[in-house]
Amino acid sequence: MQTLREYFPQLIVYPLNEKAITLQFGNTISANLLTQVTTVNQLILENPFPGLVTTVPAYSTLTVYYNPLKVYQSDLDGLYCFQKVSNCILSLNIPNSQKKITAQPPVIIPVCYGGEFGPDLEEVAAMHKLSVEAVIDIHSTAIYTVYMLGFVPGFAYLGGMDKTLASPRKATPRASVPAGSVGIAGEQTGVYPLQTPGGWQIIGRTPLSMFDATRTQPSLLKAGDRVQFEHISAREFKNYQAT
Amino acid sequence: MQLTIIKPSVLSTIQDMGRWAYLSQAVPVSGPMDSLSARLANIALGNTEEAPVIEFTYGAAGFKVDTPAVIAYAGEGAILKFGNQLLPANRPIFIPVDSIISLQNSSRGSRTYLAIVGGFDVPTVLNSYSTYLPAQIGGVNGRALQTGDVLTSKENLTALNKVLINSLSGEHIAYPNWSVSKSAMGLQNTNVIRVMAGPETSWFDSSSVDRMLTSGFILSQQSNRMGYRLKGPVIERINTSELLSTAVTMGTIQVSGNGELILLMADCQTTGGYPRIAQVASVDLPLCGQLKPGDQIFFKQISQAEAEMLYIEREQNLQKLAATLHARFL
Repeated sequence: MQTLREYFPQLIVYPLNEKAITLQFGNTISANLLTQVTTVNQLILENPFPGLVTTVPAYSTLTVYYNPLKVYQSDLDGLYCFQKVSNCILSLNIPNSQKKITAQPPVIIPVCYGGEFGPDLEEVAAMHKLSVEAVIDIHSTAIYTVYMLGFVPGFAYLGGMDKTLASPRKATPRASVPAGSVGIAGEQTGVYPLQTPGGWQIIGRTPLSMFDATRTQPSLLKAGDRVQFEHISAREFKNYQAT
Repeated sequence: MQLTIIKPSVLSTIQDMGRWAYLSQAVPVSGPMDSLSARLANIALGNTEEAPVIEFTYGAAGFKVDTPAVIAYAGEGAILKFGNQLLPANRPIFIPVDSIISLQNSSRGSRTYLAIVGGFDVPTVLNSYSTYLPAQIGGVNGRALQTGDVLTSKENLTALNKVLINSLSGEHIAYPNWSVSKSAMGLQNTNVIRVMAGPETSWFDSSSVDRMLTSGFILSQQSNRMGYRLKGPVIERINTSELLSTAVTMGTIQVSGNGELILLMADCQTTGGYPRIAQVASVDLPLCGQLKPGDQIFFKQISQAEAEMLYIEREQNLQKLAATLHARFL
């Protein structure tokens, strides 16, 4: 069995403030880093130290929030809270037989493309000299990976979009983009969980709630999930909303 | 106990100590902009730490007490008055039925916290009472308080709540001669905000970092509960790498693409992609929460260890303060 420190010799640890510590595993977007961040996140949550509050996984970092007073009063090894928490985390044992992460089937997100729901679909198609159908086909065939959540509640940063669809942001952001809007910005695609201002090219909309505070898991997606978009008609969209 | 909002201030919301359990789903912490004042108002009443309070932004607000009530307020945004009678901050105050209490603007700061014995009775959403307007969650139906809103207090009272109610209740406004003051917490009103180096401080040209620590910065009009844009010298980068989105927190000072400082506050996003030049020491965040557009601030660097010691000291002082009140009355 190896400790976290031995297993990740390249790991950088720094304080975010007096209440949080960040573990940095690298500085790229990759499936490998996603696995590392997810594995260590689970390890910490399954072995909570005194004063642990919560964790925030991101592309290449994992941030751990704690209650400094509880850490200070604990018998964790170290002089300051930052040392106590980092010593404790870095000495966690990585299990030899790591749980095989069995690939879950992708979360299906129905999307009605174009029309009033996707006002920028034709512009995106023209930009890439593709038909509208081809854009829809490329966008709804790929399997995406949720790398992290951020920006607004329930917003998932998705990786895996076909680069032929990469499109610049709108020159002038819209003052209001409806919740459920599916957009493209650069090489990223994503779904707006809430009605917010936004500069992404909007190609469609899902009738699903990406964020609902009344659900046990309010965010539909979580880091590590796989996602696929499913092309639905305007009528099917309306039916979804009715149910 | 019950009160009715006659006039909300520019922005009045219910807040508690924050929504910490859903950060990984990108739900912000929220909570008071000046958590020290919010906590002092609760401590003065013998409330628990979690009791929800009202955060008023500036004054020009008022409420009517529909039943006899015991309240406390703290903060720098307004002074409470009953007619022409000034009501002192930082202590329990008995208010007789049907009294109308007004909040008069104070030039000292921007936010005032009103606590009631037991705490305001609103439902929890995702383990917190805090209002977060962009997602319309928490507080009263996820929105800011409006004229006519009726707020009741929770019925579950602490022993100290009961003692204070019994000792102050009567026909007229009544309050004790003691108070729980901010100055006893080692916090002076100052425009010097202590900061620690940020994770990306080395991405900036050293003379820019020096300028940040020696120049004044002015809070712009583009400032709200999410964050403040600060006007001052342009901060120049020497490392132009793209920062992958990573965790940010209240007090994080980011540098935007045009070299402007952004100080993140209570409703800030859970993650951000601008490099972080500095981090405000938690003990000085209450000072930041009282700033208003046009105010000038200066930064002074301290070490992480120093910031942590100051934090522990502040928390222990708050615990002692609550314990002293308990010892005195129970």
